[in-house]
Amino acid sequence: MRERILGGYDNFVLPFMIGIVFIITYLLIGLIRVIIHIPGPDRKKLLLSFVNPSAIYKNIRDIICDCLIHVKIFKRKAILGYMHASIAFGWFMLIVIGHIEVALYVPQRNGVLYYPVFFRYFVKQEGDITLRGAFFFFLMDFFLLLVLSGIGLAMYKRVHSMALGMRRTTKPGFADRLALYCLWAIFPLRLLAESFTAGISGGSFLTKPMNMLFQNFLSDDMHILPTWWAYSVALGLFFIAMPFSRYMHIPTEALLIVLRNAGLKVTKIRKGFAAAEIYSCSSCGLCIDACPMNTQKKNLKYSSVYFIRFLRRNRTKKINKIAEKCLMCGKCVALCPVGVDSCGIKRAQRTTVYNNLKYDYSYLTSVSHNPPTNTNEEKKSSSILYFAGCMTHLTPSIIKSMEKIFESANVDYQFADKDGGVCCGRPLIIAGKADAAKEIINKNTELIKASGCTTIVLSCPICLKVMQEDYNLKGINLIHHTQFINQLINDNKLKLSKTSDSLVYHDPCELGRGCNIYDEPRNIIQNIGELKQAQSEKLESICCGGSIGSLSLTYDDRTKITQNSVNKLLINNPDKIITACPLCLKTFKDQAPVPVEDIALLVAKNIEVA
Amino acid sequence: MAIKNIVVIGGGPAGLEASAQLHYMGYNVFLIEKNDKLGGHLGKWDRLFPQGIQSEELLNPLIKNTAGVKTFVNTEVVNINKLEKQYNIILSNGITILARAVLFATGFDLFPASKKEEYGYGIYDKVITNADLEIFFRTKSDSRIVNPLKIGFVHCVGSRDEKTGNRQCSKVCCATAVKQACEIKEVFPNAEVICFYMDLRMFGRKYEDLYLTAQKKYGVRFIRGRVSEVGENINHQLIVKAEDTLSSKPLKVTLDLLVLMCGMNNSSEGIKTASLIGLKADEDGFFETLNPMQGSIFSHKKGVFYAGAATGPKTLPETINEGRAAAICINNYIKEEINE
Repeated sequence: MRERILGGYDNFVLPFMIGIVFIITYLLIGLIRVIIHIPGPDRKKLLLSFVNPSAIYKNIRDIICDCLIHVKIFKRKAILGYMHASIAFGWFMLIVIGHIEVALYVPQRNGVLYYPVFFRYFVKQEGDITLRGAFFFFLMDFFLLLVLSGIGLAMYKRVHSMALGMRRTTKPGFADRLALYCLWAIFPLRLLAESFTAGISGGSFLTKPMNMLFQNFLSDDMHILPTWWAYSVALGLFFIAMPFSRYMHIPTEALLIVLRNAGLKVTKIRKGFAAAEIYSCSSCGLCIDACPMNTQKKNLKYSSVYFIRFLRRNRTKKINKIAEKCLMCGKCVALCPVGVDSCGIKRAQRTTVYNNLKYDYSYLTSVSHNPPTNTNEEKKSSSILYFAGCMTHLTPSIIKSMEKIFESANVDYQFADKDGGVCCGRPLIIAGKADAAKEIINKNTELIKASGCTTIVLSCPICLKVMQEDYNLKGINLIHHTQFINQLINDNKLKLSKTSDSLVYHDPCELGRGCNIYDEPRNIIQNIGELKQAQSEKLESICCGGSIGSLSLTYDDRTKITQNSVNKLLINNPDKIITACPLCLKTFKDQAPVPVEDIALLVAKNIEVA
Repeated sequence: MAIKNIVVIGGGPAGLEASAQLHYMGYNVFLIEKNDKLGGHLGKWDRLFPQGIQSEELLNPLIKNTAGVKTFVNTEVVNINKLEKQYNIILSNGITILARAVLFATGFDLFPASKKEEYGYGIYDKVITNADLEIFFRTKSDSRIVNPLKIGFVHCVGSRDEKTGNRQCSKVCCATAVKQACEIKEVFPNAEVICFYMDLRMFGRKYEDLYLTAQKKYGVRFIRGRVSEVGENINHQLIVKAEDTLSSKPLKVTLDLLVLMCGMNNSSEGIKTASLIGLKADEDGFFETLNPMQGSIFSHKKGVFYAGAATGPKTLPETINEGRAAAICINNYIKEEINE
């Protein structure tokens, strides 16, 4: 194998070179801008993650799994995963092997940007085919075929998106279309170009036979140059269209993974980490199907994908509208193949509006958890603190049940907010008013620390989530009552009687996706009745519609969400719906045709008296 | 036309009055009542606002006037079919009636208080509803009412409350609450009585007098603000949290009895029966009427009429007037049909 073209250059590489230089410059400037907008402490975290071996390992693993193989999409829908993986991984391998070929055969051209891309144009095969050459040619043809199969699927998907498991997909803009058609063209053109040159440069199972076929009716070598030109133009155009299209997610996703693994969070809207998130969105539209608001066609426009599109276009009014509408159930974040934390960006956006509200904290001084008792005997305070939370106070059946459970299991406990407490602060945080929540968080922290507890049992997942995330309660174990009850059952402190009821469990957003608690409640339910499956469970559970997350969704819209959620729960005709969040309980109770109970009530009703 | 049959569904005040009037006009009236007694909610009430007359004083003559009406109690409508100019009505007792006109006087359901779980009905002993209190006034016995010293009334339970799906005002609960507050003061003169209201809608004749009497004579306290939640202490007393919106302060009181003024929903049985001939409830749950500005008697179906609370919350005089009006409308309708 040796170089065929002297100087290793031909004019047709120009479009590609313009494109690649443009995109590299663009990406570098973008990267610098992202880093500039990352606050100091976060930048330090990022630097540390580059020298931490386990962080490096995690970065590499995540980039391979998410950017190349697309494991997340595979898990959701194999064929869709294959489409992404074949293009991404195949293209990646073509680039890698291209570079290896250059390094092996024409080492003098190492580092020339276009050389590996157009390798087969510039080289000539002489004498016998070596095993090594055949091996690389085979690999190149194989990965080209892999990519082509993915492109084929992509073309098919454009026509029949249902076939690949997506109900709804986004409408592409101009740049998206240009980039899309270029992407479709790149690999068939490469196949053509390499096939035409296969007689000179050599080829493998794909390009060689094509070459022979072409020779039967296209004997002229005149076709070689135009196809290489076309291939180069397609590549160049793709790179130029990329920053303005959805394909920007290809380079940005890797950056997002690194930033996310370093523990960074959204601080500024549209800048810094948020910019990495926004440009990582591939506009795939999986979030349209995921959004609980999709029960009504008019609400489809509030999906996260459009939110991010408007962020890219800086359309403040529309951005605010979606940010306020969102239920913050987190399903779109959980299902996003790139893991864009759109809820975090929405929360950041909410900090920019309604900032002249007045807050009155004067009531805080009057709240105390342990009213002074007149009893002389010194009662040692219990290490378990029960924190019901304000939503639970609106559903007293849960409190009564918990009191009964504590009593039956002989658990000594203090009831933190029996006589009324202070809001946990999460409603304010979700509304984007984290600063306003600080005062009440401090008050609660002070009360909790004064109690001397080591474990807090919470009935409301909203409180649990905020205490885990925004409170500084080191050394105190925070558990939801589902975990607590499950532990009591495991420790044989609570005996439950089995009934013949069939029960379905609704995963509350804040408990499931929020705190990752899925198994304990199901385990409890299996101790009491027959657990039926819902249509959308765990990660895919649908918001009850009562979420405190939305600031502007009307009651009618919420009702439609609730009805849809209930219908999905009742798919297997259970006798009862069981949930583990006072807000879900309240919301479902009004709408469901079957009884709805909190898991604590279910347990309290079925305690076996010894 | 030989057939002069008319079916009246619902034996409450509206149905009774309409039946009596139609019978008087010479029609062959069938009155269908699902319960074993005529009178509807009125039959369960003790005294009526604003004058405080006994419910029997109103109900007994209403029932008496229906003497010639064919009345079926414990009977439900199983099916209604529209024929060309008549309705074929099949009853649960096996009887089928061919009727020229059908009157829905299906009334209302009391809002189920347990839906507002934060008020603790069915969870705490000392929480009762307005209907429970009327039964207490009649029977003077209720295990939940034991010499209460502090009593609260919560207005607008399941009314003007979007979260329960009821945006509308139930119209009669303000006056009922004020009446009941006075009455309970008569039973327990030493008790302190507080009414938690959003707005006091004392719109009717002599209602305002009742409100003044409650304050002057009975010393009932009125606090403007919605109750947010109800808890219970070790002595099974109720801890009620509310906001006094006039002084913009949160408020916490300990009570021995809490009465929930449940509002009106359209009768669920009524909705079921009406759906048999494709009549729909409006967004607020009550039946849609043909032309709301021209009264609420006409439905979207020819020959089907409404009277009473089925088309929205109403006071007793309004309901009885509507029963009478419905009788005239039905009479006119049948005469026009004959002349055609």
